Amino acid sequence: MSIEIIIPPFLQRLAGDAGTVHVNGITVSECLGELVRQYPGLKTRLFTGKGELRKSINIFINGKTAYPGERDRTLQDADKIYITSIIMGG
Amino acid sequence: MAINAGRLLRVNLSSGRISSEDIPGTVAADFIGGRGYGIRYLYDELTPGTDPLGEQNKLLFITGPIAGTMAQGVSRWMVCTRSPLTGAFARSVCGADFGAWLKFTGYEIIIIEGKAERPVYIHLAGDGCQILDAREIWGQNTREAQSWLNQSHGKNTRTACIGPAGENLVKYAAIVSDRRTAGRCGTGTVMGAKNLKAIAITAQRKTFLADPDAYDKLAREQVNIIRGNDGFKNHKEWGTTGTQDVTNEIGIYPVRNFRYGQQTDYEQISGEQYRKLRTGDIGCYSCPARCGKVHSVTSGTYAGAHSEGPEYESIWAFTGPIESNSIEASIAADQLCDDLGLDTISTGSSIGFAYELYEKGLLKKSDTDGLELVYGRHEPMIAMIKKIGRREGIGDLLAEGTKRAAASIGKGAEAGAIQVKGLELPAYEPRGAKSQGYNYATASIGASHCYGYAAQDIFGAPFPHPTDRFSEENADVVIFNQDGSAYKETGIICAFAGGWGWVPGLFGKMLKAARGIDILADNAYLNKVGERIFNLERAFNVREGFNRKDDTLPVRIRTEPLHTRKAKGEGQMVSHQDEFLDKYYQLRGWTKDGVPAADKLKALDLDSVLKDMAVKI
Repeated sequence: MSIEIIIPPFLQRLAGDAGTVHVNGITVSECLGELVRQYPGLKTRLFTGKGELRKSINIFINGKTAYPGERDRTLQDADKIYITSIIMGG
Repeated sequence: MAINAGRLLRVNLSSGRISSEDIPGTVAADFIGGRGYGIRYLYDELTPGTDPLGEQNKLLFITGPIAGTMAQGVSRWMVCTRSPLTGAFARSVCGADFGAWLKFTGYEIIIIEGKAERPVYIHLAGDGCQILDAREIWGQNTREAQSWLNQSHGKNTRTACIGPAGENLVKYAAIVSDRRTAGRCGTGTVMGAKNLKAIAITAQRKTFLADPDAYDKLAREQVNIIRGNDGFKNHKEWGTTGTQDVTNEIGIYPVRNFRYGQQTDYEQISGEQYRKLRTGDIGCYSCPARCGKVHSVTSGTYAGAHSEGPEYESIWAFTGPIESNSIEASIAADQLCDDLGLDTISTGSSIGFAYELYEKGLLKKSDTDGLELVYGRHEPMIAMIKKIGRREGIGDLLAEGTKRAAASIGKGAEAGAIQVKGLELPAYEPRGAKSQGYNYATASIGASHCYGYAAQDIFGAPFPHPTDRFSEENADVVIFNQDGSAYKETGIICAFAGGWGWVPGLFGKMLKAARGIDILADNAYLNKVGERIFNLERAFNVREGFNRKDDTLPVRIRTEPLHTRKAKGEGQMVSHQDEFLDKYYQLRGWTKDGVPAADKLKALDLDSVLKDMAVKI
């Protein structure tokens, strides 16, 4: 199914300056996998060397936090995944 | 269940009178605590037009309703007063242990009134409160003074003190506790004006809770949530020492006094580079994050520099304004500011302002005591921090803040004063994060990033809805952020800890168990209290003469295009301020001039403020 991934400003350069990327997938994990296939530069920003989602990354689905267990969440057609950072300003 | 609203201690430094009183349950119900208490008491007790450095101003030290308990990240404290830098309401927040120690005494507020004839400090302990001679420590830096006080009163003592900057009435002097700072708005200046060097509290742990059993269960749940949270783990690893990696990437790292959005050769000041000089971690009372990253310099010009920090704002303050890539210089600068008791943001900004004026010939070597303020050169920055703290030479001018310094210099210097209501802008460029910028313009204390942090613009947070960071049409988001911060600051919970999965869900329940007031468990009511607090702060400022004309971003931000270098946003300006304010005021329920209207005040049960606002409409 078609899913929109909203790319946060600080990762857009690595996604070809795109603010939104369309992927196909049933779970968040599949969608993020498709995203990094399209834009390999995002891989190390989103995932550790062990393939885990980085602790600094927060995933929302349709505006609601998907934490915990975000990678296993199943999606519905036209859902939107938001990638954000754990807020770290100070 | 009896209401536990906390107690208040009054210390009059003019008369020497010390008294205490219960805080009414109605005040706790309406304002909860923390920042709510601060504005409520200041509004009621300060006469409009009070000289911020005069005897009649009041300085409030406030801890939160759940401070000092086993819950994590809930023991910060704040100072509220009328700011000598802005003339507006001031609130300045700090960490370390002092908030818990104040709570252990049973007092949630200390109201300092009057002015001592000679330097004094206050000692609060189980056997009472005393006003004591501070001549031995007057003139000492904050490390020396705290060491003396801790030795004098024993290891169960924690202190909050000013350094030479506060004594010299630098307009952005800070109050320091351990190595943390209540930095903004010049609360340390007010303390210095009262001849008050420090407050020292000697106490043992004690909790004051309406329903200790219920609170205990909730606090344990909170601890478990936090310790499992990835956000907490990330913060434990980095603190905010890597935020510049984000802001520089997207072109909102303010460089050369807000003329550029990216730093040349930025890689030299990345989070990973700071990590190489990290030598330890320090935290606040009952917080496992220990996000204070200690850095030490072992070689070169700044060998021996050692600071708990710098964190993001201070990293920026001592790199961006002068476009220096010396991590070592930023560590030395941070340590100096802590020792002298200076707000790092206003200090760094004031120095950046001076560098620009030097570049443009408005300041010459004869004005700068021979210092050559050339971009990239950090040695003059270090020299100027010392001069500011001591009000020597050019430091005396810059100690007034950029707004006053610019007015004094004239000749177009005003264009380089990057401030709102007199408070210098923090480390997020408004032209690349416009909701953040409009928060600066409308926040009660002036340009504060914390008052309504626009995570939507900066990090892509999608609640209450996503934003386009270049859009000027998100007044609702600015209000959401501001009111949210206000209700969270009734507990003076750490802004970071508040994002680790327990707010708002548990926060209100914990407040209910602590206070014994049922409605505090209602999240909708918490939001209403946040709005009530923000509106009362607004009323305070309106009463002091602030209105729409003061809700303005600096001229540079509105008329000069941003140069992002390589990031998106080249050429951006803030161009629709009037339209934004119209919408913001409409949503706030204020008049076109930014005065809270009668309907809004009544809806927020602020009827007592009606007559004050009526004369302003």
